[in-house]
Amino acid sequence: MLKIDNLHVRVAGKEILKGLTLHVNAGEMHAVMGPNGAGKSTLGNVLAGRDGYEVTQGSVVYNGRNLLELEPEQRAAAGVFLAFQYPVEIPGVNNTYFLKAALNAQRKQRGEAELDSMQFLKLVREKLRVLHISDDLLHRAVNAGFSGGEKKRNEIFQMALLEPALAVLDETDSGLDIDALRMVADGVNTMRDAKRAFVVITHYQRLLDYIVPDFVHVMVDGRIVESGDKALALKLEEHGYAWIAGRQAPDKIAAGAV
Amino acid sequence: MDAAALDELLGGTAREREESWRYSRNALRALSQQEFAVAVAPVELPAELLQQFDWPETRATRLVFVNGVFSRALSGKRVEVAQDASNHCELDLPQDLGEALHVVYVSVPGATPTRWQTNNRIRLGHGYAPIIEQHVGYAGAEVFGAVTTEFVVERDAGLGVTTISDLPDSCSLYRRQTVSVQAGARYRCTHALAGGRLQRFDLACDLAQADARCEQRGVFALRGRAHIDVQLDVRHAARDTASDVLWRGVADQRARGILRGAITVAAGADGSDAQLQTKNLLLSPHAEIDAQPVLEIYADEVKAAHGATVGQLDERALFYMRSRGIAAVTARALLIAGFCREAFGAIDDASLRAQLDAWLVRHLPLAGDTV
Repeated sequence: MLKIDNLHVRVAGKEILKGLTLHVNAGEMHAVMGPNGAGKSTLGNVLAGRDGYEVTQGSVVYNGRNLLELEPEQRAAAGVFLAFQYPVEIPGVNNTYFLKAALNAQRKQRGEAELDSMQFLKLVREKLRVLHISDDLLHRAVNAGFSGGEKKRNEIFQMALLEPALAVLDETDSGLDIDALRMVADGVNTMRDAKRAFVVITHYQRLLDYIVPDFVHVMVDGRIVESGDKALALKLEEHGYAWIAGRQAPDKIAAGAV
Repeated sequence: MDAAALDELLGGTAREREESWRYSRNALRALSQQEFAVAVAPVELPAELLQQFDWPETRATRLVFVNGVFSRALSGKRVEVAQDASNHCELDLPQDLGEALHVVYVSVPGATPTRWQTNNRIRLGHGYAPIIEQHVGYAGAEVFGAVTTEFVVERDAGLGVTTISDLPDSCSLYRRQTVSVQAGARYRCTHALAGGRLQRFDLACDLAQADARCEQRGVFALRGRAHIDVQLDVRHAARDTASDVLWRGVADQRARGILRGAITVAAGADGSDAQLQTKNLLLSPHAEIDAQPVLEIYADEVKAAHGATVGQLDERALFYMRSRGIAAVTARALLIAGFCREAFGAIDDASLRAQLDAWLVRHLPLAGDTV
């Protein structure tokens, strides 16, 4: 589904991603962990198509298409979703209106019929029920005055409604109390199926108690330096990132061996 | 137009003009170099102009002035005013109207540039009453109108004023509203201003007695070469008075917006609370907005806060919306509309709210291209 190969990205003249390779297949749950400044959020932003991220080398292929050529809204319509680390407040734009605009814009781009208000509300109620969240967030402006936890809930709610094929969660767990964390994890787990893939970016192993990953990758200095199964996350929790910080990317080790 | 004619239209002297017209001097000079004949009110209005103000809810409660002259034929049956030879009306707001008093000022062009003026005094003795003031016109030869309104809100009464202006490029409008708010009374207003070659709006609100309150909201949405100059003057003259002023401005293309918000707390007006906030969005490198809060406080125990910002569209918000699938052009329109709509929060009348939303859609850049 997603093939990132040797990706190099510069932000404001500084190289942040330095040859990142990551392959994600449909149905898989990948966790990307790593210390501050490793480039985890840059990865999420590049996948979603944010301005100011200059790809200098490498490729990102999503379902056979060059993802980097697409506008952010085209990526969304193609099924890519980024849950923001810092969801943006949009005063004056009603959350329900925003969600309906987003869903219908995506459907239109995909050549599907747009939902009318009744159909949309039916879908909203269904998702609210599954996620066990109340509808009061819907009547307010998008994220405006939301607490940190409410913003993250809203991200998960958007994900549930938009039903992306590839969801990238950028530190959705940070700053959450245990109840909110469970809600986020439940939202993700409910959506796990054979056609959908997740990339969960996180600092802490804690989230992975609730969302069990198929693969865990450790990112240091713009590269993935170690990959494994969920046992790797536990090991990290025990030893800290210092344990892995000195490690070099596999390609470097290979190069050094020659 | 000679200085005397200009003084007559603007209700002041050339010297006063120098001060407060600083940012609009050139726009005014260009106008004053033209000859404006006194306008004549036409007998019939074009249907499309009539449609703009013929709202079903207010058909019986509207007052229509065409080029400053009261039109009995276009006005509703439930309101009665007498206009004198100098286009002056006095009105005691009746309590049993049932609907908002809808005051419409229509600018109709003549064969050559024309000017008109009118001045009205509206008094609310008690209870609560809403007023909608609307300014419309149609394109043609230049028209320069001037409307002076004096509102008196008596003890413990509540007046709600909503103004909507929607003017073609060939119309200029000078408006001066003075509001006197008596003890315990409340004045709430929302202004939506758009279009016109030059629009100048002076709003002087005198919180004359203890516990008088005013809540002001406003938006100007400008494009093309529109030029709007808003001068707010809130005066806390007595104890425990409160003002809460919030304006939003948007300027695109080569438009120019000015908002000067002056708050004065007089000596002895202790316990007063004055809040003023203006936020503005520039959508083009050629547009300009000048926002200037002025606070003068002569009392000791006062709560006062003011803020003025001029900025650009939030790129993070734009990206956030696009990442959810919303096209860039639609995301822009939604963001701008949302920014303006914050000033409409106090409007709870659904049909008026719909009018204001329609106004927004007409005046925002590309806002018609929404979902």
